[in-house]
Amino acid sequence: MNLAIFLVVSAAVALGIILHLAVKQSLQVRKSSSLAGIRPIDVEAFRNLANPAEDEYLRLRLPPAQFRVVRRERLRAMAAYIQVAGANAAVLVRIGEAALASGDAGIAEAAQQLVNDALLLRRNATVALLRIYIALAWPNSGFAAVRVAERYEQISGVAMLLGRLQNPAVPVRL
Amino acid sequence: MLQAHSLLWHYLWAGPNLLLLALGLLAIRRGIYREFPFFVGFSVIASIGQLVVYAADASPRVTPGTFWRLFLGTILIEGLIKFFLIAEIFGNVFGSYAAIAELGRGIIRVTAVVLLLSAVAGAAFARRDNSNWLISGSHLIQQTVFIVETGLLLFIFLFGWHFSVQWKPRSFGIAAGLAISSCVHLATWAVMANGGMFDKRYLLDFLNMATYHLCVLIWCYYLLVPHKKSTPPSVSLPENNLAIWNRELERLLR
Repeated sequence: MNLAIFLVVSAAVALGIILHLAVKQSLQVRKSSSLAGIRPIDVEAFRNLANPAEDEYLRLRLPPAQFRVVRRERLRAMAAYIQVAGANAAVLVRIGEAALASGDAGIAEAAQQLVNDALLLRRNATVALLRIYIALAWPNSGFAAVRVAERYEQISGVAMLLGRLQNPAVPVRL
Repeated sequence: MLQAHSLLWHYLWAGPNLLLLALGLLAIRRGIYREFPFFVGFSVIASIGQLVVYAADASPRVTPGTFWRLFLGTILIEGLIKFFLIAEIFGNVFGSYAAIAELGRGIIRVTAVVLLLSAVAGAAFARRDNSNWLISGSHLIQQTVFIVETGLLLFIFLFGWHFSVQWKPRSFGIAAGLAISSCVHLATWAVMANGGMFDKRYLLDFLNMATYHLCVLIWCYYLLVPHKKSTPPSVSLPENNLAIWNRELERLLR
């Protein structure tokens, strides 16, 4: 009977999650997308944090215990940057999806590219976060998240292009 | 009212299946089968299977052994089609996103294997609720099928939510209906397969049938009612000071 109780509770939790996500999905379709949810991030600062050469420099200069403390701090900062980049990518996916319905071929093409690039960034951000959490447990392991930074720069450019195609009259400042 | 073989009981067993069969035939007529061949196949085959089992249950000439053999055959075929249907939903939702489709396929395969092994282990350790292996076996197979089904559908919803993927209305309706049905059925079959509520099983039957009816109505709504296409909202870009964005835009416009 323990198994039955476990399965009933699991089924109830699964149903709750699915209904919650289904309602969110329905609301998301009705809600207009906006870039207001995007938080700007300093890619250069992130690049410095993710630079393996800086890690190597710190490793040579600092005693091992102090290096581990500093390394963990840097990893936490990196994770914070990546979380914001991932959240921005999610907003861009929604904006791109909304723009895909546009009749304009140029906008639809830019939107498709934005969606693909943003999804790739989100995927990379997820993998990078996993690796950061593993690296937090073993600070001496090598880790570089340079690809995330590169991908972020790329989708930022595509998002700008999409914005300008949709609102040519609006001066865009990003 | 809430008794086996009451009018409500007959309606809740036969009604949704007749409705699902009509939905499947309408879907064939409207060409929906091109987009969702497994869903259409599921609606036709599962409904006919359930109507045959219903007829066998209602007919006094059918022996209990024959009934349970029919029941077992139906749930095995239905379970198999539902796994193809889940693959169809996954392909329909994520297939067009090259960036995540491959990753999703990899994870869902691993998830399916883990769920299947856990479900088989769960069935192996479950207490048999009936001395007749046909009855207890059928209950355990239902429990196993719904564990895997619920787990896979939960994965699809979570994966879509994580990547903020927008569902097409029909895929969403099919998945939502199937997920609601599988969660409720998992709970009820788990109770039955493990020997719970032995004297009040008809209540679990009513819950299963009423839920299934609701899910058939969800499928009818999403497949037959035309959904208007949302007009794209004009997106205004917020102010931002990332110089890199400008640099990348210039590079793209060159």
